[in-house]
Formats: sequence, C-alpha cells, structure tokens
Amino acid sequence: MHLSHRKGSAAPAEKVPFATVADAAGQRLLAAVNPAATAAGLAPGMPLADALSFLPGLVTAVAEPAEDAAALQRLAEWCGRYSPWTAPDGADGVRIEITGSSHLWGGERALAADLLTRLDHRGVAGRIAVADTLGAAWAIARFAEMGESIAILPAEGCRAALAPLPVEALRFDLPTAQGLRRVGLKRVGDLYAMPRAALAQRFGEIVAQLLDQALDNLPEPLSPLSEAPSRRVRLSFAEPITEPADLMLATERLTADLVRRLAREETGARRLDLAFHRADGRVERIRLGTARPSRDPHHLAALFRERLGTIDPGLGIEDMILAAFAVEPLPAEQIGFPGHPATNASGDIASLLDRLGNRLGLAALSRLEPRASHIPERASVRVPISVAPAKAGAKRRPAPVPGSLDPRLRGDDEIRPPRPIRLFEPPEPIDAFWVLPDDPPFRFMWRRRQHRVTQADGPERIAEEWWRPDGSNTVDAIRDYYRVEDEEGRRFWLFRAGLHDGDHEPRWFIHGVFS
Amino acid sequence: MPPAESILLTELRERIRRIERLTTSVHGVLPFGIAAIDRLLLGGGLARGALHEIFGAGGDEEDGALAAAFAAGILGRLGPHPNPPSLAGEGMGDGLVLWCLAHPDLYGPGLAAHGFDPGRVVLVRAPRDAEILWVMEEGLRAPGILAVVGEVGTLPTVASRRLQLAAERSGITALLLRRWRNGGQAAHERSLPNAAATRWRITALPSRATPGEPGVGRPRWRVELLRCRGGEQASWEMPGEMEVPGATDHVSLAAALADRPIAPVASERFRRAG
Repeated sequence: MHLSHRKGSAAPAEKVPFATVADAAGQRLLAAVNPAATAAGLAPGMPLADALSFLPGLVTAVAEPAEDAAALQRLAEWCGRYSPWTAPDGADGVRIEITGSSHLWGGERALAADLLTRLDHRGVAGRIAVADTLGAAWAIARFAEMGESIAILPAEGCRAALAPLPVEALRFDLPTAQGLRRVGLKRVGDLYAMPRAALAQRFGEIVAQLLDQALDNLPEPLSPLSEAPSRRVRLSFAEPITEPADLMLATERLTADLVRRLAREETGARRLDLAFHRADGRVERIRLGTARPSRDPHHLAALFRERLGTIDPGLGIEDMILAAFAVEPLPAEQIGFPGHPATNASGDIASLLDRLGNRLGLAALSRLEPRASHIPERASVRVPISVAPAKAGAKRRPAPVPGSLDPRLRGDDEIRPPRPIRLFEPPEPIDAFWVLPDDPPFRFMWRRRQHRVTQADGPERIAEEWWRPDGSNTVDAIRDYYRVEDEEGRRFWLFRAGLHDGDHEPRWFIHGVFS
Repeated sequence: MPPAESILLTELRERIRRIERLTTSVHGVLPFGIAAIDRLLLGGGLARGALHEIFGAGGDEEDGALAAAFAAGILGRLGPHPNPPSLAGEGMGDGLVLWCLAHPDLYGPGLAAHGFDPGRVVLVRAPRDAEILWVMEEGLRAPGILAVVGEVGTLPTVASRRLQLAAERSGITALLLRRWRNGGQAAHERSLPNAAATRWRITALPSRATPGEPGVGRPRWRVELLRCRGGEQASWEMPGEMEVPGATDHVSLAAALADRPIAPVASERFRRAG
C-alpha cells in the first residue's frame, strides 16, 4: 500500500500545489509533493529554489520526518484489524500480509475497498496493490498506471504485471537504477532475459535478489510490528460501541471464542492482548499474563474486566481483536496448580495468582525453593511462580555445610548450624570493632544503632563455590560467619569478608537476623 | 445507671458474647498446647478464620525476625480447616500460605527451623502497605489458601476490619506482621486501634549460658498477648507477661513450649477493662 497524507488543517486545498521541504546538505529540497504539484512538473528531491522558479505559487511546509514515521507506525498498527502481520514500509507505505485473513472480509478486493474507504475517511490517500510478493505489491502500488486506487494481481501474475514498469519499481537505490538505465535496461522486463550471474557481477547481488523476490523466486519475510500471535479472534461492530457494559459483553464473547479454539487444541494461553480499534484510528490495548496456561473463560474475562476501566473508547470502538501469545499445551485433565491436585480450590489459587500478578507483575510472585548450595543466598532461591516446583525428593535436603562438622559425625540435619530467618541481599556493611583480627567483634554499628556483643559462636567458614564460572564476582571468596548475641538478646549473623592480611583491614557485614 | 438498664446491658453483652463465640467455633481454633496461653484464648486456642497481629520489640520492630519466627511456628502447626466452608472443597488441604512483603528478606531455612515448610509459601512482593493489604484481602477471598501473612507498617483501621471480615467469611487465617521503620513510627502505629482478634508482642531476652555448651546460649523470648478479642470479657486489655523458655532455632515454638514446663506468669497479672 502506498500512501500520501493530506495534512489536516495545515494543508491547502487539493488543487493548490503543495510540497514539504527538508534541509539536506545545506540545500533545501522538496521532501514530498501533492498531486497538483506533480502535475506542474515538481518531484521530491528537487531543490526548493528551482521549484519556486517553476511554480511561484507553490505552498510549502517544513517536513517532519519523525512525526511522519510515528504516524505511519500508528497507521500500521491500526491495519492490525486486517491481519496480525503488518509493518511500516519505508517512509510512505504499509505492508500487510493478508494470506488467510482476506476471506474474513469477503475477498481481497472487498478488503482493499474497505481499507481504502477507511483511509479516505482519515484524510489519507492511498494506492493499494495485492500481489503474490511484497516486491510486486510495492512496485504496483507506486509505479503502475491504475484506473482506480486498487490493483489486484492474479496469482502468478507478477512477471507480466511488472515487465512494463521502470526499473526503479524494484526498490533499487538511485545509483543502481541509474547504472541500469545507462546500459539500456529501463524496464523491469528488460532484466528478465539477463543471466542472474551477470546482473549480480555488474550491479551487485542486491539487483538479482530484489528481482527474484519480486518474482516470487526468493522468499521475503515480512517483519511484523510485533510478535505474531498464536491464536486470534476478532469482533467488528456496525456501530462503534462506547458503553462499558457493551465492551464487557464483547470481551466475554471474544474470550469464549478464543477458549473454544484453545480447548479444541488442548492448549492454554500464557499471554493475551486485547486490542480496541477506535473509530479515530487509535488502538488501545489490555495486555495480560497468566501464571499458568489458562483457558478458563470466566477467569480470563474477569482479568480483562478489572482492567477495562483503563480503556478510553474515544468516539467508539469499531473492532476488538483478542490475540493469544505463548500458547502452551494444556490437556483437559491438567487444569490445576502445579504440584497440587486439580481441584476447584487449586483453580481458585491459580486465578488468585493471576489477579495478583496482573496488578503487581508476575515477577512479584515467587516460591522459596531449597537448592544444593552452601552459599547462604544460593541455598534458598526465589523461583518464579510460573515454574513448576522441583521434584519432592530433591527438596528439603540442603547440602552439607563444609567447615562446620564432619558429616559423618553429624547425626542428622538438626545439628547443622542455625540459619537466620531474615537474610539480607546483598549483605549490609557494618562498622565492627574487634580486639584480634580473628576474633568476632565486641561491638558493631548497624543502621545507626549500636550493638554490644555479649556472646558469639563461630567462625563458620564458607568458601566460594570455586567451580562456578560466575563465582567470585558477587561475593568475597571466603567468609567467616559468626552468630552473635547483643545485650538485648537479639541475634545477628555477621561475617568477615576475605582473609586477613597485613595490608587491608577486614571488612564486616551483617547477612541476617535470627529469631 | 438504673438497675433495669444495667440488666439490659448485661443481657446484650451476653448475647454478643454468644454470637462471637459462635463465629469463632465455626472455623475452630489452633491450640498452642500450653495451658497458660490457651486458657486465655476463647475456645482454647488461636481462632482460625481471624486476623492476628504480631510484632517484635526494640530493633526487631524493624527487622521482624521474631514476628516471622512466631508466625512460622503457628503456620507449621496449622492443619487443614476442620470443616471447610462449602466453597472450598477438599482443596483446602493444599496448605499454601500467601506471604506478602515489601522486601523479600524471608529466608527459607529459617522458616524450616521453626517447623514450617518454606515450600508452602507463595511469596508476593508489593512495594507499598496499601498493596500488601490488598493482596491479603484477595488471598482471604480465595478458598484453597491455608493462611495469609502480610508485613506492613501502616494499618488503617478500616483495612484491618476488612481483613478480619474477609477472614471470618472464608475461614482462612490471617497473620499480620508489623514492621516499622523506626521507634517513632512503631510507637505511633501501636497506639492506633485495629480489628485484629489478637495482638502479640515477641521480645528477645538475653540467653543464659547452658552448662557445658560454650558460645551463644538458647534463645529466650517474652511472648505478650497484648489484646485478645472475644475472651472471657467482651473486650480485654491485658498487659500480661509470659516468659517462654527454651524456644530454640530448631524446634517450632509451640513444640518447644509443649515439651517443657512453662514458667509462671509474671507477677503483673491481667487487668480487665470492660
């Protein structure tokens, strides 16, 4: 699709020659021209001084490329009503992959006609080409003689349709096109007979590649605006809707539609995107994540309901599109919370976690999982709630703690050194006062409070897990831990970082508080 | 006060007491297994499906270590709901505990030391007190959760009432750990009323050296039941003191208490305000 935008109030009437002007290398060049200016012989790239000498009555405005690009991006997003795969194309076009979605609109021509009408309502003039390849659609939309603004190429019709077009239609840069013209290759058809190898050698690989892409001999991936959804359902309204109750009804219907499809495939959605296409072309969205794959229509609709208030319907919503991303297998019998039987209650827990996650972010939810590590902060880690818990057998058996007691002498885990109930990550530095370097401190300052140590246990030496490639960077290689009690009876877990040597004062930290 | 009105008042009090007793017995109680504590609590234990407030003293008002340990001791012994509300079904036995706090400094091995399996915790991190209270309330409405724990500094009275009501309705037990930024905030917040059924303060006491065991002795706590709703009187204020010996890092508080004779309740006895 090729577009030219008539600027709302700033633009003059269609019959007045109009151009936008941009500064380039100290020269003022025309950036874009309207049809009236084109008819007078003006073209983009022409110096403004020349243009004014041709056409003293030319109305100009300063080009705003960044604003134009943003507007084009919004337009491409709006085109999401026709297909999930849309992307801005250069500075003046939008590509839409309509394979598989044109039948929803009653065919390609009907889709193109709908698109053109809606563009016209928004003050955008467009030329739409539908072809087998992106290259051919691009060329036709920009270079072909068209009676109307829509061209539908028949399947396999690219070769014939492109032949009469100038070589510029193949998306070459200016020097390449000029080089081709210099040797008499003026039309796309002139290239057909040329051996590919010779073309590539003379004009570069890109010439052969672009030609092949236009003629469907080479695939050309369309880079969509965003990740393509796995499942997608759409609802269009004859009259734009604004009432919250209507929006909720539509949301429920879309959710039910989607869930039916997910159930057929025995899958569940992990992420959902509900897009509200407004009559003025803006797109509002609600994005959701769920802790576990879900296809419970009531649950999903309830999650959307909580966020529906954030949607500004403007003058009305024309289309609603619900897309599911990150679809995962979810057999019928497995709808439940991991590690717990699939009961009603576990379903309630899953939906509770989703409610919390959608307000606080799923990253805010975690479980405490013991790990085989003697480094205190690694022995118990917070794992995201969406990760299935470790096997029961692997749990609750922390690694033996080296340096404390010989494991053979220890009867069971009950005798291992006590661990605090609060662990600070990272450990907080303290001001410690000691008599001998190997002694625990007799006094320390922490959070502006002074603690006089009355009793101490230790040291318990905990060395870095040297076999870890990422070790040593986060913690000091060797820590000597002391459990100390202050005169109030409160207990703290302190450690001295690094080995004591003559040059450096040892540094002290508090890592946790005991109960 | 004329005698007739006085009798009327007494009757009303009696009826309120019966209503309160009824709501308590619906969800049952969790006995501590210590007669000295249990006989002060209506129904002979900590009411399930109710809000209980726990905090530390001194510096621990900020760190919340003793409060967390006391809570872990309770949670470790809190079995499935005896007669779950019809909504809950058999899933009540899952035993998941929602634990909501601002800075996730809760340490699994420390919980395990108090008899509570950290694998049952769903940790929820929320930046502000208002959100933590919201999470608690959501949790109290979700059948299938065994208990909800929240660590907050500020607690609007209305929020505490909402939590208490939600807990009563679902039968899910709510533990509110208070953590204050500093002594000033602690003193202010402690003076505010709230709707918690009980209020506990846990204080660390200097340990006594155990003969033959050098180093740090066994920890000792002072557990104070500062308020207890629905006790023998309609409303109680009891600055009592109970010294609990021998609660160690390895055994849950309650188990330790049950195993050992309890020290006599300190001389300052209960004062009743009615």
